[in-house]
Parts: sequence; C-alpha cells; structure tokens
Amino acid sequence: MSIAVKIGEVALKTPIILASGTCGFGRELAEYMDLSKLGALSSKGLTLLPRDGNQGIRVAETPSGMLNCVGLQNPGVDAFLETELDYMVQSGAGVVVNVAGHSNEDYIAMVEKLDPYKEKIDALELNFSCPNVKEGCMVIGSSPKAIEALVSDLRKRTTLPLWVKLTPNVTSISETSKGAEAGGADAIVAINTLLGMAIDIRTRRPLLHNNSGGLSGPCVKPVALRMVHDIYSAVKIPVIGCGGISTYEDVLEFMIAGSSAVELGTITLVHPGRPVEIVDELNKYCEENHIDELSSLTGTLEMWR
Amino acid sequence: MKEEYKVKLIQKEDLGPTCSVLTFICPEIAQTAQPGQFVNLSCAYFLKRPFGIMCVDKESNTFSVGVRKVGKGTGKILEAKEGDEFTVLGPLGNGFQFDGIKKLLLVGGGTGIFPIYCAAEYAKKNGIPCHIVNGYRSRNDAFLYEKFSSVCENFDVTTDAGDLGMKGNVMAYLETIDDSELAGATVMVVGPGIMMRKVSEWALAKGLTCYVSLEQRMACGIGACLVCVCKIKVEKEGKEFVHKRCCKDGPVFRAEEVIW
Repeated sequence: MSIAVKIGEVALKTPIILASGTCGFGRELAEYMDLSKLGALSSKGLTLLPRDGNQGIRVAETPSGMLNCVGLQNPGVDAFLETELDYMVQSGAGVVVNVAGHSNEDYIAMVEKLDPYKEKIDALELNFSCPNVKEGCMVIGSSPKAIEALVSDLRKRTTLPLWVKLTPNVTSISETSKGAEAGGADAIVAINTLLGMAIDIRTRRPLLHNNSGGLSGPCVKPVALRMVHDIYSAVKIPVIGCGGISTYEDVLEFMIAGSSAVELGTITLVHPGRPVEIVDELNKYCEENHIDELSSLTGTLEMWR
Repeated sequence: MKEEYKVKLIQKEDLGPTCSVLTFICPEIAQTAQPGQFVNLSCAYFLKRPFGIMCVDKESNTFSVGVRKVGKGTGKILEAKEGDEFTVLGPLGNGFQFDGIKKLLLVGGGTGIFPIYCAAEYAKKNGIPCHIVNGYRSRNDAFLYEKFSSVCENFDVTTDAGDLGMKGNVMAYLETIDDSELAGATVMVVGPGIMMRKVSEWALAKGLTCYVSLEQRMACGIGACLVCVCKIKVEKEGKEFVHKRCCKDGPVFRAEEVIW
C-alpha cells in the first residue's frame, strides 16, 4: 500500500504539495505540521529582485474563498538561496522553487541562478500565471506560443524538471498546456487563481487596492477540476491539480480527473494542519479500499457518453 | 506542535446591542497568552476573524475576547449562544514588551480597549504603576467602565458626547497630563488608526517609548499568506519601508517604526 507518486522523474512520498504563496518557505506552517509527511513545498513566488508587493488592502473574503492581491512580495532569488533554500531542504519535504519573472530575461536569469543548486531542488515551477503583477507572468502565460518559446529556451539552460503553472484566465487552457508541453515542460500545474473583483458599495471603489485580485478556495474547485481534466486530455506530460482542494475526497477527485499530484493552498490558511491530516486520510482510504498504489487512480475518470 | 483548537463558548456577556465579551475554555491559550496577542476565531464564513485577547484565567483555563459588530463575520459570531463550539488559532503574534517598564500610560479606543484591559490586568498583577485613558463616543458605549475602574485607580475617560469624563478625544486629555507624571512612562495605545497615530506623535514628541497594536484585514493569522502587511521604516540604501506582517511580526510595533 503506497500513496507515493511520481511526476515524471520526480518521486514524492505523498501527492500533497503546499501551493506557492500559501506556505512561505515552510517556516510558519512547520509550527502546525510535520512538513516531512508532505510530498513537497512550493516556495513563495520568487522574482529576480526583492519585491515589496502591492500596497493597501490585499485580501477580500468571498463565499467559500478569498481574493488576494499580494503581488509577489518576496525577498528575491539571491536572498532565497542564501537564507531559505536550506531551510526548505531540511524540512524533509520535496523542494519546488516557484519563479515568477517580469520578462523572459528575468526567467532566464533566475533559472541560471537556481540550476547550480540542482542537488537541493526537486523541480522549478515556472509561474506564468500570477494575476497581481503588471508585467510578465500571466501575460506570458496567456499565449501558447510565448509559453512554448520561453519554456524551450529555459529547457536548454537547466536539467532541473520544469513545471509550468498555468492561469485559468484564458480561453483554452488546453492550448496553453500544449504550448508548455511543446516547449519541453515536464509537468503542468493548474490552476492559479481566477481574476476577480470586490466592490465597497459605500466608497464605490474596489475593495482591493490593486483593483482586482486572484480568487482561490473551495469556490474555484469545480473550475479547476474541469480544467485539470481538459489538460489531462490534451497533453501527455503529468498534471498537478490545484484549486480549492480542502479534503481527501477532493484530492481523489483531482487524481481521477487526471492529476498525478495536487497542490493545497487556501485551505492551509484556514486550517494550517489540514494537509497532513489529508495525508493520513489518504493512507486510510487506500487501506480500507484495498488500493495498492494511490497513483493508479490518476486519469481513471470515465465520461458519460 | 501548535494546533487549531476546538473551543466551547462558556459565557457571553452583552455589553451593548452590538458588542459582547465572549469567554471560551482553552487551556493552551489561557496558560500562554500575553497581553497584546490575539486569537483567530472561526465564524460562519470562510476565513477566521482576529480578536485581541481581553483577559485569561489560568485557574479556569479560559480566555475572553471583546467582539463588536463591524461586518457579517462579527455579526455571526455575536449570534452565538453559550455552549456553541468554535475553532480557534492562538495565541498569535507578538504582544507588548513589559521588560524594564517602570510605569505605564495605557490609551484605548474602539475595540482597542479590550487588549488594553489585558495590559491593565498585567500591570496590576506585576505592580507596575499605571494610568489608563480610554476614549469613548458616549456614556452608552463606555464598555468595561467598571472593570477598568476596579483594575486601575488611575482610570480616566473622554467621550465625544461629553456625557462621561472629559469632553473630546483622548488627545484632549493627554495634553493635560503634567510632564512630571509622564517622565519615564511607557505608552501603549490600541484603537482606531488615526487615534494611534496622534497618540504616537504626541508620545514621541515627549520623548516617551510608545507601542501601538496595528490592525489589518487578515487571512491566515500565522504569517504564511502576507495579506496583512503594514509599512515599517527601514534604514537601507534606497529603501524607506518594508512590508511586515501584522499578524506574525506584530501586531505590536514600536510607534517610531510605523509609517501611517
């Protein structure tokens, strides 16, 4: 009986990954759970230079979720390598480094800085999907051709597995995932947040000072699940599902839809110990249902005719 | 390992139609909480809501928070009945620093009076001389008036309406305090942003050490999500401020660090 999974060459002891931007570099959540029980942590989205992020109000609650516009506040890739990478390594969870650029040159520079640390890093997660910064990221991630061109350039610069995290804010996520696959990506991570807005009726201004923000939490789960299934049907590389997962049943749904592993994000902000509870529940589920390999569930969805 | 605790509401004391003190049993919080720390309390909606701790009772293993209706979440919490269960994270954040403090001037306003009460109880227990100035709108919302009076002999009040204590806001009162009384005092202020800013400016101009407890919209409350940041001064080349997390690096900051 095993809940270990493989994402291409990357072996994870469980399919549970903490999503970028919801777990920092692991330090805060380590107070609430044993990180070594997780498959991996995906770091806060890193930029080439440190970023203060957006100013003013950054969060608005929604039914079953939240909008955020943090805007990639992070210490920059150099400070990450100096002070955070070793912490992530010693946590005992797999290490995924999320990189977010303002331009193709930023991504190239960051991948070249991270490549020498390949012994400590399990995968790079290319963030082509942050909705809260004005340049790069989601702009690149909205065009299959731009994704393909950049991934194929980065592919030549590192042997680290490249996971491409895609935005749902496109007409066809199948097309953008094909672009990533054609460029040589090792896996697709989907979805990042959905662009949304909240309005203060007293001031008639957006509640968020960035005007819009990214919607996450259980409210996005049906959208994410459908997109994971679309991607699974469109490409041959593994899919890592993400979007509103809060229970072990949600994990199973995402795996059946085609995910090889999953990322948990917003639920951790409400119940910081939940990811490890889900690991325990997945083990129990496999035992009770006589499932030898949890990974055998991936892509077993049978559609109605 | 820290946990999210399931706690039972054992007492609900209504202070007014939209404000109550809620008391919960939770040994982990009751035994370790410090004045100025907060808890993140579940409500009927998605995110938890942060509340400054008003008091703890280590013998009965309880802690109390003051809740005033400011939106739907606090409204739902105020509908709770004794016996209802909540989930809670806490104690969270950095509280007030009392090391080496000789005397205290505590200034409270709005829901800031609840954590100020916690600091007042601490001062009494530890024999720290203390003067409290709370600003209220009117006599009707002079919450905890009796409790403050019993925990501190030197308790003064201002009201906007002028029907209790001095008419005006807390600044009107503070301006009347003699410099000889202020010498060597540490100021702790919790209340609306504009009040904390004015009190900070006054205290710093007098050369006093001053602490403020900042408030921000929060999500996780434990420092992971970065939505509750505030601007804190830094002295680095080409930089004026850093974004620090209200929940994890604060909520208590030294007044001179804060960019309002």
